[in-house]
Amino acid sequence: MNTPTETTPSSSKFVFPRWANYLLPLVLLGGLGAGMYVPVLVGLGLNPNTLNKNYRPKQPVPYSHSLHVGQLGLDCTYCHTTVTETGFAAIPPVETCIACHNPEKEGSGVKKDSPKLAALHAAYRSGKPVKWVKVHDLADYAYFNHSAHVTKGVGCSTCHGRVDRMGEEGVHQHANLSMGWCIDCHRAPEKNLRPPSEVTNMAYTPLDDPEVIAANITNLKEAQLLVGRRVKAEYNVHNAAYMQSCSTCHR
Amino acid sequence: MNDDAPQTLSTSAHLADEPQGRPYWRSLREYADSPELREQIASEFPAYDPDELLGLSRRQFMKLAGASMALAGLTLTGCRRWPEQEVLPHNARPEGSLPGVPQDYASMIQRGGVARGVFVTSFDGRPIHVAGSPLHPDSGDAARYAAGELHSGAADAYTLASILEMYDPDRSRSVLRFNAGDGNAQQRDLKTFAKTFAAGGSRVAVLSEARSGPAADAARAAFAKAFPEGTWTTWEPLHRDAEVQGAIDAFGQAVRAQYDLSKAMVVASFDADLLTEHPAALRHARDWAKLRKSCDAGTMSRVYAISAAFTPTSSNADVHLQTRPSDTAAMLDALAQAVGVPGFSASVALKDDQQSFVDRLAKDLTKHHGASIVAVGPSQPAGVHTLAWAINQHLGNVGSTIALTAEPSGDEPRCVEALTQLVQSMKGGQVDRLLILGGNPVFDAPVDLNFKDALNNVALCAHLGLYQNETSLACHWHINEAHPLEAWGDGHAWDGTVCLQQPIILPLFNGVSAIELLATLAHDDLTAGRDLVRRAWSNLLGANFSETHWNQALHDGLIANSAAATVRPSVKGARPTGVSSPNTDIQIVFRRDPKVYDGRHANNGWLQELPEPITKVTWDNPAWISISDALHLGVENGDVIRIAIEGHELDVAVFIVPGQAPGAIVLTLGGGRTVAGRVGNNVGFNAYRIRLASGQSAHAAAPTATVTKTAQHHALATTEVHHLINTQQLDANWIGKRDGTDATARMALDARLGQPGGEGILVKQASFADYQNNPDFATDGAHGDVMLQLYDAPLAAEFKARADELKAQHPDAVADGWEPAKQFNDKHAWGMTIDMTACTGCSACIVACQSENNIPIVGKDQVMMSREMQWLRIDSYYRGDPTATTSDKLDAVHMPVACVHCENAPCEQVCPVAATVHDTEGLNTMVYNRCIGTRYCSNNCPYKVRRFNYFDYHAKLETDSFRSTGKPGGIANKPWLNIPDQQQGQVIDQIRRMMFNPDVTVRMRGVMEKCTYCTQRIQRAKITAKAAWAKAKTAGTDADYPYVEDGAVVTACQSACPTEAITFGNLNDPKSAVAQTIRGKRSYKLLEELNSRPRTKHMGLVRNYPEA
Repeated sequence: MNTPTETTPSSSKFVFPRWANYLLPLVLLGGLGAGMYVPVLVGLGLNPNTLNKNYRPKQPVPYSHSLHVGQLGLDCTYCHTTVTETGFAAIPPVETCIACHNPEKEGSGVKKDSPKLAALHAAYRSGKPVKWVKVHDLADYAYFNHSAHVTKGVGCSTCHGRVDRMGEEGVHQHANLSMGWCIDCHRAPEKNLRPPSEVTNMAYTPLDDPEVIAANITNLKEAQLLVGRRVKAEYNVHNAAYMQSCSTCHR
Repeated sequence: MNDDAPQTLSTSAHLADEPQGRPYWRSLREYADSPELREQIASEFPAYDPDELLGLSRRQFMKLAGASMALAGLTLTGCRRWPEQEVLPHNARPEGSLPGVPQDYASMIQRGGVARGVFVTSFDGRPIHVAGSPLHPDSGDAARYAAGELHSGAADAYTLASILEMYDPDRSRSVLRFNAGDGNAQQRDLKTFAKTFAAGGSRVAVLSEARSGPAADAARAAFAKAFPEGTWTTWEPLHRDAEVQGAIDAFGQAVRAQYDLSKAMVVASFDADLLTEHPAALRHARDWAKLRKSCDAGTMSRVYAISAAFTPTSSNADVHLQTRPSDTAAMLDALAQAVGVPGFSASVALKDDQQSFVDRLAKDLTKHHGASIVAVGPSQPAGVHTLAWAINQHLGNVGSTIALTAEPSGDEPRCVEALTQLVQSMKGGQVDRLLILGGNPVFDAPVDLNFKDALNNVALCAHLGLYQNETSLACHWHINEAHPLEAWGDGHAWDGTVCLQQPIILPLFNGVSAIELLATLAHDDLTAGRDLVRRAWSNLLGANFSETHWNQALHDGLIANSAAATVRPSVKGARPTGVSSPNTDIQIVFRRDPKVYDGRHANNGWLQELPEPITKVTWDNPAWISISDALHLGVENGDVIRIAIEGHELDVAVFIVPGQAPGAIVLTLGGGRTVAGRVGNNVGFNAYRIRLASGQSAHAAAPTATVTKTAQHHALATTEVHHLINTQQLDANWIGKRDGTDATARMALDARLGQPGGEGILVKQASFADYQNNPDFATDGAHGDVMLQLYDAPLAAEFKARADELKAQHPDAVADGWEPAKQFNDKHAWGMTIDMTACTGCSACIVACQSENNIPIVGKDQVMMSREMQWLRIDSYYRGDPTATTSDKLDAVHMPVACVHCENAPCEQVCPVAATVHDTEGLNTMVYNRCIGTRYCSNNCPYKVRRFNYFDYHAKLETDSFRSTGKPGGIANKPWLNIPDQQQGQVIDQIRRMMFNPDVTVRMRGVMEKCTYCTQRIQRAKITAKAAWAKAKTAGTDADYPYVEDGAVVTACQSACPTEAITFGNLNDPKSAVAQTIRGKRSYKLLEELNSRPRTKHMGLVRNYPEA
């Protein structure tokens, strides 16, 4: 056993140093981490909550819903007139804005000199439309129709959130608009329905419903279910099988 | 399997043997039961070679895989929001406009000087779909539309495909000045052209395609005034010279026949394709169908047809005879004799089959005095037309089934005569300036006129056209024309109704219309199209012209009740046709091409890829030849023959057509364009090369043609045996292997297609007499029953009772308390019927479907591999002896087949990802975003109606994509530019993209698709009805929850169909039209014994054969 390798310190380069003992667990750990890295990155990256929720592009005109709706009390359908008739809740034409914000000298335009309205006034003068940036952008193979929802008691705020609190920074996406999110409601619409007369009410709560008050219900969930079931029956909202049919949303 | 296989079959050799075929067959190869065809049918994806993929080397595979990974990583394709999109609202929204709601505008499109009424669907300012106008006398019926019986207008394939033409990126985009020497061109503008034109010599000639309408007439008059020395010539290659001349000879004045087939119990067509070729074909087809469908009520018309080869009309005739075109005249002579036209005598010797045809016809005509029509086609010489008028008058038809109106072009020289004169004066140097308004005379003028050479003698010639074509290149100037969907104009329908053409979109390439160009050149004070039309109309209507009238016309697309007044001249005497049979072996018949018309639609991919109604050939126009001539020449499908007429030669591939008259070769005009565009260049064969001024149509005076075989072969892409519903795989291949007996397979096959001499179960056909004796012929012997119900009975009352009864009888079928799922019991249960008695095979439905559903074209090579994408196909079956030329021995049947929406769908059961599933209203839905492309569904579909996107077909626009390369698989078999497919969004042409229907997903590569029953139209109708109901309810009105009204959903195919053969609607609505037809005696389920329970039912074919 008296071999030189064992006794000669100079030959210690052939011996693994002490720290090498940690190498294997480190490599294993690193490998495990790298292996996790891709799925986690992809998983989180593709999550609609990451991609879409709170998406808030910069708009050409810093229009404040919080001012117009929240403070001045404009109804949603004052501008988005087509919402009960068509698939799109169309962005209002420039002339709707100009009704109040007329830039002409003799006109009695509100804030006619405000630089914030420059893009709007330019559109009015040139006849070329304002280029708004689309916030709620569904996949092209999904066909959403506003009129089908709004006329049957799906409130604006249910999907778009409290737009009346979104200010000059622009509207942001409230829900993630994933298919799972759509299907959640299509499975059980009663969780979200409200009387169609209340759809544009931003501050709606089922607790104010006369039937709920009469039944003395104070739990929000219970109140919603009571109202939701009633609206569902009254308005012939389809059963889950119909609402989950592929052709309901995909053409 | 190589793609040449279908063409190199020894068809003729097989036919020479004792045939062992079925009573019904779709092609001669099927009839001959060739082993090659069996193999093709047995493989679900013919010409698909899995070894090709295995042949990919490891290195290639790594390269591809690595590249795609790297690209994915570089761009993080998935891991980001998709690109920002802008929303551009109107500045001032027009009153009544709702973004995202398509609107229909009434307009018209002219072809050959006849206005066709259209409704153009515009989506947010983009026209996306053209349909027929229900208000127009040809395509619709204003009275029935108003009464709610008719919901849409019909259209022909050309009109439906005009939307693709408008968005064609190959259209001419500017005014061009061509250099004299090198043929290069510079861009100029209209002003410069007008200046140059004004500076030319005084002798101006205009050569125009046929144009009608008050504004067109006014423009012509104004031009004539501005250029007093000018001449005006009208040229249409598909002219009706002989017809007009025949009427003049008969009546002493030019009249036009307005046939009313809804009153004609006997229709005799002498070489006339009344149902598809005639300018008023849509109206004829609608009227014809009325007296065909009435077989259910106990009356039925009888149609006799003579033609050289099958046409949609003769293939639907009860008695048809294919004979050489020159014999038609003799047969008409014999008919005149037989019905006893006073003062007529001729001695004619007919062959037996011809004599028997004439005898039967004469008997029927005499029986139905004043309720028949004898029609002669435009290819027959004037003498035949003249005699037909005498016969019609003698039979009391004139004034009863045939109304006469004045022929607008009557006082002008006939087309050929006029063009000959023009060419002579051009050659004589008597023309300084030539203005060619549309058309393509360099390509389609009679070849012996040498029109192109004559152009050299003209100092300044200019051509107005949608495309730069052969004629523009031979001219000095080219002016880009506005498409009819982009410009104001007007026109006359065949019956004279004044129609208005309004632009649906601004000209995409700043083109001008013919009337605008004429106004500019004539220095008119008005040059805008709208002003010109309004001025012409106010002059025409005088005091009657008001803003209200104008707006009404704009709304309707026409002036109601403005048809031309009828005239009542009478025929003076009757004389024999004077056509003697020529002593040539072969007669050439020139026909309109059902796909490209006279060649003008050559760059329209939808039309090029449309299977020709009889031969089902796509991307070509072969010469049709009879079996005996093919045997004589020793040619097979695709072999090239050389036809020589007076030194003019044409090399053309042949296609052997069953039932064709020996000694007649049919050529369709319009193929072989060389300057058409990326789609149409060098597709087909140019039959104009042998069409002489004296031989515009086939008759006795036609010059002698000689035909020889060449050594060349040209692969033809025919779909006649694609997607065969067949059980040949049940044959030895399948059951045979399984249980070792061929007998089972034979039995199954016999059951489907019928034993020799017996009826099968695919095509249900009966004679009118048999139908009256046995109204249940279509369902006799059917095996299916309602024992196994997936859904609760759709037809509430009767079917439910029957289902309950059966459930009681067979308690075990309702196993373990199983009940039909109640939730699948919706207010709507969609269903369709397709009436084979009314289907003419015109194929308009295919184009309508293609337009509505964003269906791509795939190119010739892909078609050869059975990869055509059209959701709807028309199976044409023949019954009998293919060499026979009479209806006694050979019959043809057209059967449209699209997805039948099985309730118990075989496709759904095999999809591993549930990408094809049912919805609650009975639609077999296809979820594109779920599909992973296994193609199991297509394999398991007994009807063969599913289509797979092998490539990003929409993205291919390179010329080579549509060409046959001659190599197996061809270039189109390779990914685009040989790199993996691009994302569609970046590759699809920007202009073509505007045409897509935004309500239908544009499918990607690797996705299966098929007929959806136009689910987008269903959804739109439902949402509209329900939202209106809910709004009314919120407002306090209490109405019943709505059905979608019958007629609120019209599928694209249904809308296009001129005979209303397709009925679609809600089976749960007892009042709906489809609820009636689906319970009709003739309705049967295709392949019922499979228990697939199709929602689409076909309605059996009834033919009114005369008693023997």
